[in-house]
Amino acid sequence: MAGIVELLINGLLLGALYALFALGLSLSLGVMKMINLAHGDFIVLGAYLAGAAMSTTGWPALACIGLVVPVMFAIGWALQAGLLNRVVGAHELSPLLVTFGLSVVIQNVLMEVFTANTRSLPSGDLALQGLRLGDVSIGLLPLLIGLVCVALYAGTHVLVSRTHLGRQARAVADDSATARLVGVDDRRFFALMAGFVMAVTGLAAVLYGVRTPFAPTAGPERLLFAFEAVVLGGLGNLWGSFAGGLVIGLAQVLGTQVSTGLGPFFSHLVFLVALLVRPQGLFGAPRH
Amino acid sequence: MNNMSATATTPATATVETAARLGRGHVLGWVVSVAILASLAALPVYAGFATQRLLVEVFVVFAMATAWNLLAGFGGLVAVGQHVFVGVGAYALFVVSNALGLNPWWTLPLAAAAAAAFALLTAWPMFRLSGAHFAVGTWVLAELMRIAVLNTEALGEGGGLPLETLRDFTRAQRNAGVYWAALAVGVLALVTARQLLTSRLGLALTAVRDSEAAARASGVPVQRAKVALWVCAGALTGLAGAVAYMNTLQVSPDASFGLGWTAMAIFIAVLGGIGRIEGPVVGTAVFFVLRESAGQFGAWYFVALGVLAIVTMLLAPGGAWSLVLRRWPTFDPFAMRRWMP
Repeated sequence: MAGIVELLINGLLLGALYALFALGLSLSLGVMKMINLAHGDFIVLGAYLAGAAMSTTGWPALACIGLVVPVMFAIGWALQAGLLNRVVGAHELSPLLVTFGLSVVIQNVLMEVFTANTRSLPSGDLALQGLRLGDVSIGLLPLLIGLVCVALYAGTHVLVSRTHLGRQARAVADDSATARLVGVDDRRFFALMAGFVMAVTGLAAVLYGVRTPFAPTAGPERLLFAFEAVVLGGLGNLWGSFAGGLVIGLAQVLGTQVSTGLGPFFSHLVFLVALLVRPQGLFGAPRH
Repeated sequence: MNNMSATATTPATATVETAARLGRGHVLGWVVSVAILASLAALPVYAGFATQRLLVEVFVVFAMATAWNLLAGFGGLVAVGQHVFVGVGAYALFVVSNALGLNPWWTLPLAAAAAAAFALLTAWPMFRLSGAHFAVGTWVLAELMRIAVLNTEALGEGGGLPLETLRDFTRAQRNAGVYWAALAVGVLALVTARQLLTSRLGLALTAVRDSEAAARASGVPVQRAKVALWVCAGALTGLAGAVAYMNTLQVSPDASFGLGWTAMAIFIAVLGGIGRIEGPVVGTAVFFVLRESAGQFGAWYFVALGVLAIVTMLLAPGGAWSLVLRRWPTFDPFAMRRWMP
């Protein structure tokens, strides 16, 4: 019994990491109506940046979040203002292909600079510590990631629903042409938002690097998990993406019990079955 | 009076002249096509194994890029997971040929049929998605299949399968045979694309690409047209994948269900010109010239390729072919233009 509870908790906590990956994707899909195919590669890039920051400053991994997040914000802002704003909106083909090219570029630069070897961010004894509740033990690090994830979703929820920036985001998401008419400079806003998305991605990246070993080619799989979480949760539904991430993580951990190599297979399978059964997402209203 | 006869004869003369010019162009076109085809078909006589193997890759990748271009450029279906058909086609060939002891060349149509059936089956969940979601959804499908094959003992797991039925042939027979199969697949891709696009389905697809709402309002069965295109492109890619792995004698899940195939198709279509039948022709030439001359730089070569694709999308989204058309606007080598009756 304790084993099953532990398994479920592990699945949910892994899912929280995927939900963190999905947060940025959910925002850019909801507001900018584009998928960054390099999203996963940026997660891996963030992890490598954290590694580089650790070796130059000597700080612990979690402290490097303070360096990685602003750098990633700048990268996201510059990328959107300099490159993606030229192709967003006109045709969905162009942003897809430009970000596909970006994905190839990032993977190969990482390969050249950091070699193809798998590496991880050392986190001292944080990775080894656990909490014991009766017979159930929970890793401290996954728990911490879970808490950060809930806090970030809650913060983003407040940002979107209560602030002026959030009102702009919702206006652009509903109807970008009308939003422009009432004075929202959508291009400038997109750049700011891409910065925010990338900052969140940077935070997720450091936590990912501390939790799991990574390699330059690990990006696409992160993108797929994030994408599955967003579609499972229903489009434009922030907390839906959160729940979608939990489902994907749970499916992976339970799938690994069936056969060690089949974890991600079950995540993909759950996504495919959900598409057939509930194409509008777990929490979306039925389509008319 | 004089004036009147002039206005009456001029259009007629023009028509006759146009017809004569077209006729001459037509004959010239056939002569050139047959000459190119004959010299390519005779290649095993005068070229070595290395050239043959390279050209096998050129032809199959051209077929995949043509299929990708049909999907994205005419159907508005960006399939980042198109490589799923490469794996399905290749594994179908290996499994059927090995199990029944069938001549692999005769098994190729079965591989194409298997890929078509797989396309039809997966159209059901995939077409619940559209646009960018469809793009990534097909990628999930390819990953799902890769992991499934990787964990199936009967399919050799990670090590894959050899094509045992090729052992009965000599090296020269194998090389020339696979080369001719690849040439046939390349020609088939070009002919299929041309026939498809000049057909009713092609007209429907072009209408859908330009405005789905307008096409639907004009009575185009949008979903049926897209599914038909998906099945055609899947069969073509599956066939090309089967020939590609006949060339290497061994199929493995990570390579055959690998994003590399789709990446090549995307680069070729982007560099040559998306939404033009000539695009993959030009793009394949550009891609392989680049790869053969700069491929030894490894990762940096891919970085440069990615940058080139991004720059092309920004500055010349119509690819190299749009630059040709800018210089010679009426150039139409495959006679794709529709003439008003």
